[in-house]
This record gives sequence, C-alpha cells and structure tokens, in this order.
Amino acid sequence: MFHLLPREIESLWTLFTAPVIWAAHFLLCYVAAAFACARGIDLALVRLGVAGATAVALGGIVVAGMLAWRQWGFGSGDPPHDEPTRKERLLFQGFATLLLCGLSFAAVVFEALPAVFLADCRP
Amino acid sequence: MVIAGAFIWLGVLLAYLHARRPRRARWSDQAAGRLILWAGAVFPTTVLGALLTYALWLMPGLRPWAEAEPPGLVVEVTGHQFWWEITYRTADGAIVASANELRLPVGTPVELRLASPDVIHSFWIPPLAGKMDMIPGRVNRLTVTAERAGVFEGACAEYCGTSHALMRLVAVAEEPEAFRAWLAAEAAPSPGVAAHPEGRDAFVAEGCGACHTVRGTEADGRVGPDLSHLGARRSLGADTLPLSEAAIARFIADPAAVKPGALMPAYDMLPDTRRAAIAAWLGGLR
Amino acid sequence: MTAPSDAERRAAEEKRLRTVWATPKGWRYLSAVNNTEVGVWYGGTAFVFMLFAGCLALLVRAQLAVPENDLVSADLYNQTFTLHGTVMMFLFAVPIFEAVAIYLLPAMLGAREMPFPRLGAFGFWSFFLGGIFVCGSIFFGAAPSAGWFMYPPLATDEEFTGIGADIWLLGLSFIEVASIAAAVEIIVGVMKCRAPGMRINLMPLFAWYLLIVAGMILFAFPPLIAGDLLFEMQRMFDWPFFDAERGGDPLLWQHLFWIFGHPEVYIIFLPSIAILAMIVPTFSGRPIVGYSWIVLAAVGTGFLSFGLWVHHMFATGLPQISLAFFSAASEAVAIPTGVQIFVFLATMLAGRVTRSTPMLFGTGGVAIFVIGGLTGVMVALAPFDWQAHDTYFVVAHLHYVLAGGMLFPVVAGIYYWWPLVSGRMLSDRVGRIAFWTMFAGFNLAFFPMHLAGLWGMPRRVFVYPAEAGLGLVNLLSSIGAAIFAAGVLVVVFDVLRPKRGAVAPDNPWNAGTLEWAAQADETWGLRSIPRIESRYPVWEQPDLVAELRAGNGYLPDAEEGRREALITSVLDAAPEQVLRVAGPSWLPLASAITLGGVFIALTFHWWLTTLVFAVLFPIPLLTWIWTGTAEIPEKPAKPIGRGETLPLYVSGQSAVGWWGMFITMTGDATAFASLVFGYFFYWTITPDLAAGHEGPGPLWPMLATALVLLAWAATVAARSWNRGGAPGLARLALIAGAAFSLCGAAAGLAGPWAAGLDPTAHVYPATVWVIVIWTVAHVAVGLVMQIYCVARGVAGRLTPAHDADLRNTTLYFHFLAATAIVAFAVVGLFPLAL
Repeated sequence: MFHLLPREIESLWTLFTAPVIWAAHFLLCYVAAAFACARGIDLALVRLGVAGATAVALGGIVVAGMLAWRQWGFGSGDPPHDEPTRKERLLFQGFATLLLCGLSFAAVVFEALPAVFLADCRP
Repeated sequence: MVIAGAFIWLGVLLAYLHARRPRRARWSDQAAGRLILWAGAVFPTTVLGALLTYALWLMPGLRPWAEAEPPGLVVEVTGHQFWWEITYRTADGAIVASANELRLPVGTPVELRLASPDVIHSFWIPPLAGKMDMIPGRVNRLTVTAERAGVFEGACAEYCGTSHALMRLVAVAEEPEAFRAWLAAEAAPSPGVAAHPEGRDAFVAEGCGACHTVRGTEADGRVGPDLSHLGARRSLGADTLPLSEAAIARFIADPAAVKPGALMPAYDMLPDTRRAAIAAWLGGLR
Repeated sequence: MTAPSDAERRAAEEKRLRTVWATPKGWRYLSAVNNTEVGVWYGGTAFVFMLFAGCLALLVRAQLAVPENDLVSADLYNQTFTLHGTVMMFLFAVPIFEAVAIYLLPAMLGAREMPFPRLGAFGFWSFFLGGIFVCGSIFFGAAPSAGWFMYPPLATDEEFTGIGADIWLLGLSFIEVASIAAAVEIIVGVMKCRAPGMRINLMPLFAWYLLIVAGMILFAFPPLIAGDLLFEMQRMFDWPFFDAERGGDPLLWQHLFWIFGHPEVYIIFLPSIAILAMIVPTFSGRPIVGYSWIVLAAVGTGFLSFGLWVHHMFATGLPQISLAFFSAASEAVAIPTGVQIFVFLATMLAGRVTRSTPMLFGTGGVAIFVIGGLTGVMVALAPFDWQAHDTYFVVAHLHYVLAGGMLFPVVAGIYYWWPLVSGRMLSDRVGRIAFWTMFAGFNLAFFPMHLAGLWGMPRRVFVYPAEAGLGLVNLLSSIGAAIFAAGVLVVVFDVLRPKRGAVAPDNPWNAGTLEWAAQADETWGLRSIPRIESRYPVWEQPDLVAELRAGNGYLPDAEEGRREALITSVLDAAPEQVLRVAGPSWLPLASAITLGGVFIALTFHWWLTTLVFAVLFPIPLLTWIWTGTAEIPEKPAKPIGRGETLPLYVSGQSAVGWWGMFITMTGDATAFASLVFGYFFYWTITPDLAAGHEGPGPLWPMLATALVLLAWAATVAARSWNRGGAPGLARLALIAGAAFSLCGAAAGLAGPWAAGLDPTAHVYPATVWVIVIWTVAHVAVGLVMQIYCVARGVAGRLTPAHDADLRNTTLYFHFLAATAIVAFAVVGLFPLAL
C-alpha cells in the first residue's frame, strides 16, 4: 500500500525537525523586518508575512508532532525508554521529538509576538 | 520582577534542600515526571510568555519615534574620545554649539541625534532614558522628555578607550522659559570675554583657537570642545574635575595626566602665571 | 578449558594490551596522543590559565575597591580586564570542557580512545602555544586592551591597540583550530564509537550534551573565524570592513562576533551541566528521571541559543521590531534551561540522596545559576536592558551564570572523577571548606554588582567617582573576590597535595555509568569492550565489571601490536569496523609548532619568517596524513571476540574519515556563509553597494565556476573509475581535474584583478576580494588533494578496494563545487540584478 510518508522515519535527523522549523521561521521574520526597515519598506507587509510564516511554521510543527506521536507508539509507552531494543529506541526518539515539537511550538509563538506589538521601524 | 525572581529562587532552593534530606518520602517516577512537566516546562513557559508580552507592549511607548511627532528641539550629541560635542537646533533655525553639559526644557520632547566620528560611544543618562550607542557611520535618534527639573548624571556606556571611565555627562533640565533664556545666552558670546584680557590674548596667542571655539574671539576651532561658556558649567573635562580655575590650569598643563589618552597636547612649557591667566579668563566665561 | 591455560591466556592478553597502550616515558612523553594524557594536559593547562586570569581579576578588584584609586594606570587596567575576559572565555571555559570530554567520553561510551587521537593532541598543542602567547603579552605591556569582544573601530585603531589586538586574534586562531578539532572528534566519537548495543536511548547524558555542543561549535565558531579574517585584513592591509568612511560598518563585527558569542556561552554551560547530569543520579542512588527531557533541553538550548545574538546589541539603535525578535528567543531559551534544573530536582526527590562534596558543589552551583538565570530573563527584555546594558548588572549576571553553570559544576566534576583519574580520593573535609569559602566569597563579590549596575556604574571603568555612592558595594565586591580566590586556592591545594594513605576503592561513589568500569592503574582504559544493555550498565548488568576485567568483552587483546577501537552504527551501535587508532607520534606537536609559527610570525609582521613556516607546515601535516590515515591493513578483517569478525578497512559514508571530512567541511561552509552574509549585509545597509566601483563582471566568475565544476566532475569520475577497477584511468582523470582546479583558481582571481578592484579603496572591492580569495584558497587545497590521490595510487596505497582517500577528496569537492557556485554567482551575477 502506498504511504505518503514512510511508516518509520529511521533517522536521527527527524529529532531536529521542529527546531529547524523554528529556526527558519525566526530567520525569515528577522531578515524580512531588518531588510524592510533598512530600505524603508512599509512594515505592514512584513507583519502579514510574519503571520503567514507563523501559521505555516506552527502547522509544520503540528505535523512533525503527529509523526513524533506516531513514532512514540501513540503514547503507548511511558518513559523511561531504557530497554535495549529497537522498539524502545524508536519510542524514545518519538517521545523526545514530541517534546521538542512542544518547545518549538511555544518558541514560534513567542517569536511571532513582536509583530503583534510593533508596527513600525522605530529604533 | 525582582520580587518574583526572589520567590522563584527561594522556592527552587528550598525544594533542593528538601530533596537532600535523608529521611523523607520518596516520590514515584510518575510524580517526579509530572514535576518536570508542570514546574519545569509549563510554568516557565507561561510566566515567560506573559513577561515577554508585557515587555513588548511597553516598548513602543518607551522610545517614541520622532518621525511620528516632530520634536520641538533637536540636539546633536556627538561623542568624541573623551568629550561630548553638543549642538542645539531649534525649530526656528537657531544653531548653538556647546559641549559636555546637556540642557533640556522640562516637559518637551527633545530628539537627540547621536553620532561619533571616531569609535563607538554610548549616550546614557539613566534618569532620563535607556542608553543609545553612538556608532561611526550612523546617526541614532533618541527622543527624551525630562519629566521634572533637576540635575541628572550620566556616563558614556560603551568602552571607548583609555579614559572611557572619565567620559561622564551631566544633564540639566529646567522650565521652558529658563531654558530659552539659557539658550539665547549660550548662543551669544559670554560677557566674560572682555574680562582678563591677558588671559584672552594668551589663549589666542598659544594657538588654542585652532581646536577650541570661544564666541566673541577669533578662536573658532572645532577639534576640541566649545569653550564659549565654560565658566557656567558644573564640571570640567566631561565631569572629570569640579570646575575651578585651579582645575582648568591643571588640565591645561597636562591633559593626559588628568585624562590618560586625551588628544589635547600638554602645555606644561608655559609659565605658571600665563596658564593661570588663561584659566582665570576661561573660568570667567559664564 | 583448564584453569592454567585460561589464566595464561589472560596474562598474555594483558601484557600485549599494556605494551600497546603504554604511555611513552621520559621526554617521549610529549609525543603521547592517548586521550588520557591529552585530557590531563588540556585540563591542567586550562586550570593554570584560569588561575592566571583569576589573578588579573584580583588586580581589577583591588583597583576598584575604593573610588578614584590609582593602584594601576588606566592603560594597564584596560589590558587587565580585557585579558581576564579573553583568557577566561577562550583559554579556560572552552578548553576545560574539551579536557573533560577527551578524558571521559571514551570511557563513558565503552571505548578505549577517541577516534582521531592525533587530532586531539594537535588541538591541545595549538591551544597551549596560543595560550602562552596571549597570557605572556601583558608582561610586555602588549596585551589586548579593547575588551574581550574587541569592538571596532576602537579595536582596529593601530595606535590605541598596538600589537595587542593582533595577539588577541592570534590566540583566538589557535583556539578556533582546537575547537573545530574537538568538535570533529566528539561528533564522530559519540556517533560512531559507542560500545556495541549502546543505542542512542541508552547513551549517557553526558554524550548527548556533548554531541549537541559539538554541533553548536560547528555553527558558532565559523562566524567568528570569518569575522577574525575580516578584522585581520583590516588591521594588516587596511581593507575597510569596519570603517564607516569607506562603506564599512562596525556593526558587522558585532553581528559576527555575537552570532558566535551567544552560542559560545551555551557551549560553555551545557557540558558543565552535563557533569551534573552524571553526578545527580549517582548521589540519588537511581537512574535519572527525565532522560528525554534532558535531550529536549540540550537540543532545544542548542538551537534556540542561535537566535539570541542581537540581545548584546540592544543599545545599537536597530529597529525595535528586530530587537524584539531576539527578546522573544532570549525568553524562550530559558524554558529548556530551566527544565534541566527540575530534572535534577525530580531525580533527587525520586531517589535517596547521599551527601558528598560533588553534590555540595553541584547544588551550590544550581543555587548560583538560578540567580543568574533569573537576571538573564530580566536583561533579555529590551526595555530593561536599555538601562542594564554595559553596566555592572550585566557583569553580575554573566558571572552568576558562568560560576553557577560552569565553574561550580566543574569543581564538582573534579571531586567526583578524581578517584578515576588518579586512583586517590580528594578530601571531603577540605572540599567542604573550599565550597563554603567559594560560595560565600562569590556571592559577596558579585551580588552587590547588581546594585552597582542599577545605580549607574558602567562596565570597564578603571575608576569611579567618590560622589557616586558606589564605594561600599565595590569594597564588598573586592573583599568577596579575595575570599572567593582563597576558596579556589583551597581546591588547588586539595588537588596538588601529596596524597599518602589508602588508594581509592574501585567506583567509590557506587556510580552506575560505564566510565567507572575502567581501571585507574592501567593505561588501557577498559580491559575489554562491553556489550551494553542499559543506561547504567555498572548498576544493571550484573558481573559486567568482572566479565570485562576477565577479558570476556570485545577486543580483549592486541595481537598485531596495534591500538584498536570498535566503530559501530549511529542509531543502534551495531559493530561495523575495527579501527586502528594512532599511538604516540611527534607529528601533532610538529604541526602545531609550524602552524603556530605561521600565526605568530604574521602577528609580528615578520613576513619572511611567515613564509618559512608556511613552507614547513605542510611537511609534518602531509607526513601525518600519508603515513597515518587510510592505511591498507594486512588482512581484510579480524575477529573481535565473542565470535564476531569485523572489517579493518571501511571507506565512504560509514567511515570515520569520511565523517571527519563532512564535519570539517560543514564548519568551513558556515564560515563561507558568514562571508557571504557580510556581502549581503553591506548591500542591505546601502543599496548602492558598489558605490561606483566596478565589479568583476560576469565573465571571469562564470568561467571560474565552469572550470571548478569540471574539476569536480573529473574527481567524481575518478572515484567511479577507480572503484570500477580502472585505477590508471582514475589517475588520469585526477590529473585533468588538477589542471582544471589550477585554471579555475586563476580564472577566479582574474575577475577582480582584471577589473582593477582596489580592496583598500572601499568595502565593496574588499568584500569581493575576500570571497574570491577564500574560494581560490579552497580550490588550491582541492588541487593538493587531487595530486595527493594520484601519488597514493602510484605508491599502491590507494586501490580500487581501498579508496578512502579518493572518497574523502570527492566529498571535499562536493562542498567546493557548492562554494564556487555560490561565490562566483554572488560576485559575478548578483550585481547584474541590481
């Protein structure tokens, strides 16, 4: 049967998915605002962009979180995942990834707040 | 913030001290895990989020933007190693040069334009506003409003060389009419120019005018601080010495002894009386 | 088997192991590369530098004890505080974690050695040489004096700084080399050198932390390297990167420095908190509660810390919305930081705590750190920081987090692991005296600084006025500093005093992690390599220690007289390869001395000497690479014990050499990206980037790109042909590739040359030149690699089956191709789009 995403994502890199999304969101927001302010471009466009980027980033983190939840066996096993088996190793990865998704979600929300309160390029 | 911080710290410390006690009930793994989740993750996230929101809400109001509301008065403050060049530009086009002591009208927003030709300095008068750097190649703008009359002390807040510690600043805020009167007097030559002619002539003859300006004489140099009303200031050398004729004479004799790294050359080759005469004249420039 | 032949077998194994892992004696001791020796050297040297920087601090506090003091001149004071910060941050805080990692990681992971021992030794000697220079400078009045972060234009002013700034750069260059080397070793060590069965969910937390930190180093140090390059080009050749009059901008330095500087403090903090993550379970008598939370904390902090850097620039006049993004990230990073504090608490609460000196220092450290964390949350908010920035409030904050988060845990670690290092215990009584003295002294010294800052005392002032009302707080600070120093001396005393009496028992703290299975009195680390089934093998795998000591693990022997390590897979630590690691060698020391000679001669502008050392340096380096890497073994595989056999030679993505190249090139790419960032930074602040200066045009850069891509293609082809059994054809391809590299380098240089770009005239030509020179230098290195592979083939050391050199060279060329495409598109094509 065809799966859009592989059943098991067998890599250490997926641990970093949510923080990488945060990093991309952060860079996008900062570079856009810095460039706009340096060139005198109206910030309204940037604030809209931040809103959009935030929605995309949060969506991405939620998807990553769902995949992590799946890797964690849908919450079937509580930590500690310290058995010497491949299954436990996968549960650990899923749980740790899920925690990182939570942190990254909060961090992206924090990151979007400035665009709510600051509407111009005042120093 | 300090009180909340103290409580949080105390709480954590007491928890650790409790945990160290040899005879106490052991927590279950689940309970310990819940502690991490709620106290270690959820609680800080909430508190920090609230704190951040509050700070962001405060920010625009703390630093008003001159572009939104044109200021009544613009003052260019240029940082040098180790003194402050101050130039007042009023709405009606007057330009008044001064140094080392900033005067402000109470209740009026003043836009400070901060620049530096040499190294990075930072303008900081704590009771008036947070600090703003003076960076070569840019002009930073800071709008301040003195809420009450008084004398406010500040300092250069970015390490700028040997005598960074001796680059302090005084701001004097006074009622708007008093300020206008002061500005008019500052723009004009000091009445003291005519006194102590021996000192005035020595000042010009020794070439001091190549670096310093004294309105009412031919001294019009811009390398060093404007001395037109030196006698009216509270201090000498950017708040390094209290103002007195003796202090002026001492400074002239060897600026680097008072302010290591100062660019002004020493005049210790002058006879003491000549220096004293110059100092007397300068001290009289109110 | 009959008992006598069993015992005989074991005795023979032990004899061979002892011989192979023996520490060289006499003056040959300096040629040691074993992680035990290198770790001790790193730690001892770092500590000596720390004591030196501490003396500088005492001088600072003596000067500030009373208002308007004249104990030292302004100039000496400025050198003193600059050197204090520089030495503490670069010559103590970073190397001390490298020391702990190099010493302990292999034992914790169930390995005998780090994967690249000579690289570690080279890193140490570089650090040692650089450190001597930097510390020695003050005795000649030539220390850097513009603050430890050396902001231009002050720091690029030749008259003010003299040679001090160049000495600072020199010291930094050495540390950068050592740190990248350490990052390579740690990542490869943690990912590929764990004992069989040590899956990533069973890895000791110290390893998790260090893995993240090593990754952070790869992305944090290179921006500093790029910044240093620009800084030195300005000082040496007057290229105006930070000179506003010629289009430069002092803020670019601040960005590059703090993109490094902020993660740097977490690079310092995380490994030390990792020490606590090892100590707390031991003294709570149970495994850690919240292992995954620690992984969250380490990874989360690692990532978020890269989003904080502008909080050091809140007063520079950047738009508030930009500042706000960094306030947000600075607040967010407190979340994973705080999680760790609660993980330790939770573990203690769920266990039964035994009091001990390590726990005392650990708990005291946490108490201090939390204060620093709380003031950090305050200064993270721009409005608060607009008052607190560059005042003693920040000095207080930074010392609280560094002392609580780094120094106290490191001392805890010293008391904890001392029995493992030396076979003797430190004194609990002396330790308690040291702790309370340090704790009381520290708080007395630094707490009043919060007040001094809020009352208006700026940083880096050699005097303060009597009328400012700062006399009392400063006097208290100075007294506290003296008490704190006394406490540190007590620790030094405890470490150095001769320890007569009983040897420490094995595993005196009854800890559960693998390093305690090592034997302090033997040089081989672990007697044999275990198969791991638990996070706390010493607790949960019965008889493990006895079994290992009986030689029943993997690699119990050294039949061929070589030092050997096991390479395992990343996720599940399945055995993959036997790696022969280096024994004692003079080449790392020789390489460090010759490279050091280049840097030192450059600092003093002795051009001829520089050239001589630049010619000498490749000799030990190439000898090292030729004789000591990608060695073709005498047989394809060997038995490793317990019935398993593994290959002795691996090339490609599983090989540690390939990993080393990949990791190094990732760091290199980050430095290159920082230079490109500089180019676009200048474009952002001035739309008219070129300011009337002609660019190199598109033609030469595109030609250069094409030639470099041909060199890349030839190398890739060579790799396939060699693997396919046609090594002669492969060598021809490499020679063609080398020719393309040479032409590509020439074409690259021709662009700015033909356009007559003068780098001293304006920042635009300078930036174009620096990007082009970087790229061309890398092409030159690629060329050397291509010739090297040809030579290896001719000498029979590179064959179709043994092609590690060529695989690694191809990997290098992948990165080089990407670099060339970006570099030449930026300098050649981007101006067309404007």
